[in-house]
Amino acid sequence: MSEALSSNQAILLVARREFVTQVRSRSFVIGLVVTLALFGVGGGIGYFVAAQNSTSSLGLTADTASFRPALEATAATLDTELLITEVDDQSGRAQVDDDELDALLTGGPGAYELLGRDAVDPTVQSVVSTAVQQQALATALAGAGVDPAQLAAQSQVAVTTIEPSDPDSGQQLALALVATILLFFSLNYASLVATGVVEEKQSRVVELLLATITPRQLLAGKVLGLSVVGLLNLVVLGGISVVVASATGVLTLPAAAFGTFAMAILWYLLGFFLFAALYAAVGSTVSRQEELQSVITPIVFILIIPLILTLNLLPSDPRNELAAVLSFIPFFSQTVMPARYALGVAPLWEVAVAALIAVIAIVVVVRLAARIYQNSILRTGARVTLREALRTRS
Amino acid sequence: MLEVRGISKRFGKLQALDGVTFAVKPGEVFGFVGSNGAGKTTTMRIVLGVLSADAGEVRWQDAPIDSEVRRRIGYMPEERGLYPKMKVGEQLRYLARLHGMSAAEAGTSVQRWTERLGVGARIGDEVLKLSLGNQQRVQLCAALVHDPEVLVLDEPFSGLDPTAVEVMSGVLRDKADAGVPVIFSSHQLELVERICDRIGIIAGGRMVAVGSVDELRSREAAAVLDVEGPPAGWAADLSGVEVLASGDTHTRLRLAPDTDDQAVLVAAMAAGPVHDFRRWRPPLTELYRDVVQDAAVPVDHSGVPV
Repeated sequence: MSEALSSNQAILLVARREFVTQVRSRSFVIGLVVTLALFGVGGGIGYFVAAQNSTSSLGLTADTASFRPALEATAATLDTELLITEVDDQSGRAQVDDDELDALLTGGPGAYELLGRDAVDPTVQSVVSTAVQQQALATALAGAGVDPAQLAAQSQVAVTTIEPSDPDSGQQLALALVATILLFFSLNYASLVATGVVEEKQSRVVELLLATITPRQLLAGKVLGLSVVGLLNLVVLGGISVVVASATGVLTLPAAAFGTFAMAILWYLLGFFLFAALYAAVGSTVSRQEELQSVITPIVFILIIPLILTLNLLPSDPRNELAAVLSFIPFFSQTVMPARYALGVAPLWEVAVAALIAVIAIVVVVRLAARIYQNSILRTGARVTLREALRTRS
Repeated sequence: MLEVRGISKRFGKLQALDGVTFAVKPGEVFGFVGSNGAGKTTTMRIVLGVLSADAGEVRWQDAPIDSEVRRRIGYMPEERGLYPKMKVGEQLRYLARLHGMSAAEAGTSVQRWTERLGVGARIGDEVLKLSLGNQQRVQLCAALVHDPEVLVLDEPFSGLDPTAVEVMSGVLRDKADAGVPVIFSSHQLELVERICDRIGIIAGGRMVAVGSVDELRSREAAAVLDVEGPPAGWAADLSGVEVLASGDTHTRLRLAPDTDDQAVLVAAMAAGPVHDFRRWRPPLTELYRDVVQDAAVPVDHSGVPV
């Protein structure tokens, strides 16, 4: 004989079904693999490009060999490695053609030529032209009786910053970007709530379920189960990223990575419940999967806008004021605030305030969504308008 | 006893239910009949708490039904519904557990009911891969799997082949014999007449008749007699008697309420040898037609069984 089932048990049973069904599904595994592959390819390209840029080889002919000290000095200032070899003009050209040299500086005063195969790396171009210009300038100044060293000393500009400049800012930026993108992918799992709600409505199984448990229990279980699916996605991808990045020496800030990771999980949970409630509410107003796409598009936009803003504003300007404001506003904060934290511009108290605002928003949105869901879930046929869904009681 | 007391429900301008009242005793199979839109499904949904009533209440064992009791009801909704991509066995175990069974109990029960209803071999298949008839059997398993105290089935026989109808009616009888009140709706009146102990007829949201088939028959004010033997015309001049039909040796008569049937028998025997003299027992289909036609004049509203 059946025994009393507590509300929590009912919610857990529903949550377990949702979790097991999703994790066993092909799309979850494929999603993980594809995201990992994207990260791997992205990282690989970045690493390759970086490796390409680090050293360039330049050939000098007998006529241009005198530039060697100036070239080496300029390369050092611009933080590029320049491998200089001296060749004669003809074999230099052959080596450029064979890709043994990246570029060849040849010619004479007034007709210097920088030769590359298809193109010349812009860094090498600027190193060479700076060196040549300085040499020409020095010659002209000497002719006019001015000491080039004195001029250089007088025209020096020292760059200093009020905040101590952070040697780790590059890594922080990488962490912030990875966290932002991972969060976005994981928060997308909230849309499964809408798909699941419509599946139950379309297959009519919802009537059987609601004869057993309450709409609130069904909704709570569904959101809980799917939140764990997205969390699993976040933890697996985040964990792999951190381990791989540390192992390859790309990441040298394990503490910052851990903090960013924890922050991503916090904001994942806050964002998931907020968006899941929206998805459940709109999902319950339609009766078929075909109708779903049009009603969830606005929600997808709400999720994408802060992603785009974060990726565009913060890398060049971590203290961007618009981003700072948005990082406190629900529906934006789950994306913007963790990125600001990872960049080191948002102190913990700001995070706490934004999280508190997000929690208040969750309470309000979940109440409204549950009401819409309860009033719409058994109504099939024409789409239920939000006004009807908020008003009527079935 | 399951009691439905004065339930009313309005959808916008439509009064879907108006004081629906009836009761079903443990061990009883109750047939719920009525035309489309008469209110059968709405009543059942209210019993299950899927809809809430505007007025009235549903009681089980002398207490209003709450969610705890509802969990012990077996329900088959009119709109069949199962997760299409979930395997039969997993799905039934899940539903059994939602109804409060332990994992072990659920497993045993799923095994038992799928075998009883002839879908034991399909336990590992996704529901959408089953034929409609087999999906229907799984749906019935879903109503039975948690060993319910009450069964409420909306159109359980629609779409079943004759074998499945036999299995299904056997199951309903067994559950009733085990002390479970069974309510089901159907448009197949012969079937309802054959397997139901009592019948409720609903029309336009009101119960127009409740009782056993015999009770419904006895409500026919006038008796109808079939007489076999005497040549035609013998009854034409009897007072209080209306000849409905007559053949060479067969005559059908309707007696006015206070006419003595023994006097009619004497008159018949005087006209010739009587081989057969009996009351005509109208089938449920005829009773149903009469009752629904007369629905404008509501009859007995106290559906409580005597």
